[in-house]
Amino acid sequence: MVKKNNRISLIVQEGTLKNMFPDGVTKRFREESLTWTCSVTPSPLSSVYTLKLEYIRNKGVKVYVLDPKPLLLATGKKHLPHVYSTPEQRLCLYYPNRIEWNIRMLFTRTIIPWACEWLCHYELWVCTGIWHGGGIHHETEAEKQANKEKEKTNEASSSKK
Amino acid sequence: MLTKEQKQQFSDILEELGKTLDISETQYEAAVKSYEAVGNWLAKEDSTLAPFSPEILPQGSFMLGTMVKPINDKDDLDIDLVCQLKGKNPDWTQEDLKHKVGDRLKAHGTYKEMLDEEGRRCWTLVYSDDANYHMDILPSIVDKGYRMILEKAFSDTELKDIEKLGIRITDNQTDNYDWETNHLEWLKSNPFGYGRWFFQQATLDFKKAFSLNESIAPVPKYKKEKLPLQRVVQILKRHRDMLFNGNEHKPISIIITTLASKAYNKESDIIEALINVVSTMENYIEERWSDEHGKRIKWISNPVNDEENFADKWQEYPQREKNFYHWLSELKKDLNNILGQSGKGLPFINESMQKPFGKDAVTKAFSNYGDNLRKQREGGSLNVAAKTGMIGTVGTAVKNHNFYGKEEQ
Repeated sequence: MVKKNNRISLIVQEGTLKNMFPDGVTKRFREESLTWTCSVTPSPLSSVYTLKLEYIRNKGVKVYVLDPKPLLLATGKKHLPHVYSTPEQRLCLYYPNRIEWNIRMLFTRTIIPWACEWLCHYELWVCTGIWHGGGIHHETEAEKQANKEKEKTNEASSSKK
Repeated sequence: MLTKEQKQQFSDILEELGKTLDISETQYEAAVKSYEAVGNWLAKEDSTLAPFSPEILPQGSFMLGTMVKPINDKDDLDIDLVCQLKGKNPDWTQEDLKHKVGDRLKAHGTYKEMLDEEGRRCWTLVYSDDANYHMDILPSIVDKGYRMILEKAFSDTELKDIEKLGIRITDNQTDNYDWETNHLEWLKSNPFGYGRWFFQQATLDFKKAFSLNESIAPVPKYKKEKLPLQRVVQILKRHRDMLFNGNEHKPISIIITTLASKAYNKESDIIEALINVVSTMENYIEERWSDEHGKRIKWISNPVNDEENFADKWQEYPQREKNFYHWLSELKKDLNNILGQSGKGLPFINESMQKPFGKDAVTKAFSNYGDNLRKQREGGSLNVAAKTGMIGTVGTAVKNHNFYGKEEQ
């Protein structure tokens, strides 16, 4: 039977990251936190970007574009599309409802491919000024708060043994 | 050097560019409907042409599948058509045939209004309003049984008896225009032989090829999918249009199409085909001695009639030769510049393509390319590669998800 809380150990997350990206650098502190930094080329003709993944237990996962910084913007735009913060270059890769992503999933099968895909669509956005990658708009501040609470509760409950 | 994956991505982008330059299915169907109506009018029982079962068939780029939209949406599409009569009244001269066709068009209230001034070989119908095209109709005579020969030539896997596809046309600048009644003495033209040759060059595997008959049927089917050579020709023509918009001495399509087809080496991807064609097409321009000019002249032979020089006008208008070589050198520079952006990122590729092919068309091509990536991911066919994180055909499938956050700011 499948266990309800089969949270993936950070050791496994780290192993699969190293396996998929031998050149990436990982740093893990027990089961508490994991970071991964790696250069990627999101499409054959694309430029090279440095991504950083940061996971802290109970605080979720964050993905940043470290380099280049700042990222070039599309003509006439002041902010990057689908980011939590343009200055931080922190990417919004999935809808935070725990279905698209939760800690029972491998980074290498979810967050990382999505970040590479984000970079690909980012380059196309610079070309056309239009985001072609699809997605969902941010909800209102109130909804945001509610979701945040939910996410926290979920993170806490899924990490309970 | 480009990697295999880079070539693939270039080809995918150029394929989208080609689709953007192509005429739409709606435009295509509208044009077919229009010329069929003309054909029906010419063939109607009360027409003097009726006994010779006139039929209108597309020729030129409409038949070859190499049409490109004009740069300016308001400009007309050129559609070249052949009006084919199976035989004629034995007394008719070229002039008679030309005017029988012209008179029949004038007998129709609407066509009378649309008819342009008489051309050297053609009648031109100018469609206005939302149609935005004009049709050049070339009156011609073929022998009975021509249709069978034509269909056979297009279903055979080998290229043979091409000269049998020749048709006889009228030309009001020939000496025998107003007296010669034997049509075998009239000017010969072979647009269908040329078409057959073009598809021989373009088709990757002739035996497996989709029926070529469809391309010359009175109602050729619209094809969204194009062969690499067809895309290359469209891209070259667009580049020509951008450089010489409106210049009457621009390189003509038949020269571009012929040299590209001769240079094409059955490359299966567009970028390889384009690189090869651009670097070798000028090798197919010969020099031949001309008695008329008393010197060696540039010669681009018609592949189905070696005696015909598509560049014959270069003597009368030296500017055309200059323009051709200028175009080719710009094309080489632009292509090198585009290829040189590999690895700098798609925005640089996009930027380098805008001047040569037009900002709107290029932006549209990249938009469609982006939409395709999204659809591929939604359909589970988009992959991500290990080591590089490259999105494409290699690696494991990208799980579906929704990018979150504000789309536009």
